Amino acid sequence: MKYRILGWLLLLAIGSPLMTAWRVVGAQHAAPLGMTETSLRDTSSPSVLSPRDSALHALNRLAYGPRPGEVDGVAAEGVMHWIDRQLTPRKIDDGALARRERDFRILDYDRGDLAGMYAEVQRERRERKLAANGAADTTITPRDQTARRLAGQFQELAVVRAALSERQLYEVMVDFWTNHFNVYFGKGADRFLTPDYIERTIRPNAMGHFEDLLIATAESPAMLFYLDNWESVAPGSVPPAAIRVRARPLFGRRPNLFSFPPRDPAEQDSMRQRAIQRAPQGINENYARELLELHTVGVDGGYTQQDVIAVARILTGWSIKRPQQGGDFEFHDWAHDAGAKQVLGVRFPEGHGRDEGLRLLKMLASLPATMHHVSWKLCQRFVNDDPPDGCVDDAVAAWKRSNGDIREVLRAIVSGPDFWAPRNIRAKVKTPLEFVVSAVRAVAADPDTTPRLAQVVARLGEPLFQHVAPDGYPEMEAAWVNSGALLDRMNAAVALAAGKLPGVTVIADSGLGAAASPDKIVAVVDREILNGTMSENTKRVITRQLADITNPEQARVLAIGLALGGPEFQRQ
Amino acid sequence: MAISRRVFVRAGGLALFSLGLDPLFLARAAYASFRRSVVPSDPPILVCLFQRGAVDGLNMIVPHGDPSYYSERPRIAVPASDVVDLDGHFGLHPRLAALKPLWDAKSLAIVHAIGSPNSTRSHFDAQDYMESGTPGVKATPDGWLNRYCQHDREHQDTPFRAVAFGPQLPRILAGSAPALAIDDLQAFGLRAPQPAARDRLTRAFEELYAGSATGLLSSSSQEAFEAVQTLRRVDPTQYQPTDGADYPRGKLGKALLEIAQLIKADVGIRVAFADITGWDTHVNQGAGEGQLAARLAELGQALAAFTRDLGERMRDVVVLTMSEFGRTIRENGNSGTDHGHATAMLVLGGPVRGGRILGRWPGLDPADRFEGRDLAVTTDFRDLFAELLARHMGASTGALDAIFPGFTSDPTRFPGAISG
Repeated sequence: MKYRILGWLLLLAIGSPLMTAWRVVGAQHAAPLGMTETSLRDTSSPSVLSPRDSALHALNRLAYGPRPGEVDGVAAEGVMHWIDRQLTPRKIDDGALARRERDFRILDYDRGDLAGMYAEVQRERRERKLAANGAADTTITPRDQTARRLAGQFQELAVVRAALSERQLYEVMVDFWTNHFNVYFGKGADRFLTPDYIERTIRPNAMGHFEDLLIATAESPAMLFYLDNWESVAPGSVPPAAIRVRARPLFGRRPNLFSFPPRDPAEQDSMRQRAIQRAPQGINENYARELLELHTVGVDGGYTQQDVIAVARILTGWSIKRPQQGGDFEFHDWAHDAGAKQVLGVRFPEGHGRDEGLRLLKMLASLPATMHHVSWKLCQRFVNDDPPDGCVDDAVAAWKRSNGDIREVLRAIVSGPDFWAPRNIRAKVKTPLEFVVSAVRAVAADPDTTPRLAQVVARLGEPLFQHVAPDGYPEMEAAWVNSGALLDRMNAAVALAAGKLPGVTVIADSGLGAAASPDKIVAVVDREILNGTMSENTKRVITRQLADITNPEQARVLAIGLALGGPEFQRQ
Repeated sequence: MAISRRVFVRAGGLALFSLGLDPLFLARAAYASFRRSVVPSDPPILVCLFQRGAVDGLNMIVPHGDPSYYSERPRIAVPASDVVDLDGHFGLHPRLAALKPLWDAKSLAIVHAIGSPNSTRSHFDAQDYMESGTPGVKATPDGWLNRYCQHDREHQDTPFRAVAFGPQLPRILAGSAPALAIDDLQAFGLRAPQPAARDRLTRAFEELYAGSATGLLSSSSQEAFEAVQTLRRVDPTQYQPTDGADYPRGKLGKALLEIAQLIKADVGIRVAFADITGWDTHVNQGAGEGQLAARLAELGQALAAFTRDLGERMRDVVVLTMSEFGRTIRENGNSGTDHGHATAMLVLGGPVRGGRILGRWPGLDPADRFEGRDLAVTTDFRDLFAELLARHMGASTGALDAIFPGFTSDPTRFPGAISG
């Protein structure tokens, strides 16, 4: 267990180097907010709230919650100015995160490396099993261990980035798209394709144009594998001989036919038969359906079963080059259904190969139903579980104007009256990821590469990259608030406050004397962790709990644990 | 996680043990474990298992007497010689063989060609409809099992009346009636190294939520603390399944073990729910062996262990399996199956009129198929659900109308799974 408690909370950041930097930036852009015309319309909206309240709301929704002192920093800078900066993440220096990322070895491996390692681990397991005559062998080899450590780092990295990045809105959007375009880390090749998917498909496109993101996911080996499109072929299509031999790369529990060729020719022959039998022989609707239902037009987008089949036919041949080696996107002309198709009333004439798919994706990206579906989800994420129509309309209008520029859509949402409406303030319950990351930020903890925080997020019901179904983790409060999950949140809060999470260093410097009274401790916790949202009841309960605790360290830990696990901190 | 969980569990166990040194507590616990068997009839219990991802009903309950089954599935049909025959036409998938004794004992009935009147092939919409109990209507705020609890006036309201096993409370139990979500019974509650510290934390959080929480945070926390209170008299870490019941490893086995444990602990459980995933077999689903076979083996073993563990208590228990829809009759291009329509559901337990395949079999001929491709639905799932609630759980006709709004339950359409 590596943890040290340096003291207590980082006090108000006046005078801290970080805050000084913020104030300088704020001063440079003091007057006009630098917003586009969409935002000017409603710059008055935040004025309903005090500058601190608007800053807290923005940090709760557009970031993973405030760090100590951050509410004052954003209020001083001007909340709209801070939002404007967040919408251009590239220009925000993120050196501290970049330094921490260097500890994550997983980032040194590309999907080919990971595929190779995975294959070796599988091979070792098979050999051990053979050697043990089929008996279960639970030995963990060094390579096994490395693979597990890297998988843990991959999950932890998502939490660490969310916690430490200065580009907070960008990280929020990465999480949003990771769920919108969900893949499941546990499915076969996705075990080694998913890290690459996050790095090279989701992250580069998270604040770009929706169309680019949609095409990138459609061409990503991780998605092609996850929703089976890589094996969807026109009925009757025959692969070239060379491809037929490696027709079915095998994953997981299935034996690998190709690394241990059996000696017996008859058996070899039957294996070849089986390989040919397993070769794709027709279309697979899986990706086509989810592309329409989840990624673009939505389940009420007006498509029929015939549209699903036509989309699947258009995308036949969209495949992966040597998936078992972590290969890239590859279009197989031999597998493509060359006939004419029709999707949602639009004709796709025969014989356009891969271009048909690109045309289809561009068409889907620009359909009003898609704009509405995705905008609705964004408003649900940022404004209310039950998104107001006005918010969705504003987002759709911005989408049309900007041809699907995600930044402009976000700008419209945060500039609209709904985002700032009092009834939407603290109206959402945090997801497990948001809860854990906001707690880490609230106590200014400094997580390392050990996957402890990712494990806590998993314990609370949201194991990252492990949502099996293609719909991604839900955004609704009803999905996350239940008896067991709440008790788990309380336990996690107490553990974090007590510094019991290995890899999480709670940096704190209270400035409180050893003899601080319960009242004083509660006041500081309210100011620094709950940013003044602590209810009278909570103050009373915590004060009473501290009354008989003489050890000041214990008192602080208990107060922080109760505050983080209490009802106020579950909301954002 | 695993390591510290074990530590927590051990700590929790010790804490409970030290509480249990109270002789009165020991006496009560001992009494509790025998008391029920002398009572003539216990309240009914319904256990629902949701096969998420749409199970291939045709490979689970195989129509081996239908030649089309074999012609449509050259690569994935279960050979007739491997099927565990039930009635000459249908048979169990070989990896469900553990259920055959229950069939023979007339404790297992199968409803085939059952499903939704709604034609969606979306997992999420179809699951939503099956859980809300209102196919085609998305606005229904609560689930039908929750509505049953809302209208159940006969049975005592206890914190454990409705329990879902898993990290999330499923749609089927969402609603105004209290329902618990338990991911790990052994770790349910506040954790602290000493009982005194644990009790203190529990009290403090209880006061925090009682005084400041609103909405779902308020009701869920209240249910949680009531359940924690009840669990103090049951030591979940000390449970031993009886009669050598051997639950398979994995989430389902664990969930069913914990359900059995709560049933035997007499904490007032009436409705239990658990998920089983891994049924969305678009690729390489296998025939007698393979992907689907492995999932079915786990299901069969878990159900067999559950019934063995509960023994006599099964007399009041009905287990229902459900899945959002079935899969295509014809195998797809990847030795798998795509989203289809009707599927099969299992009903087992003491009150079941088993040993029978229920529902009308529509056949597999192209002319008999739904939209020309999928197994047609001949039993609306609400007919089966309503029958279980009416004949097993004691729901009145009036209650059924409220539990399934927009649906008129009609005993003549009940599939006949429960002795009427």
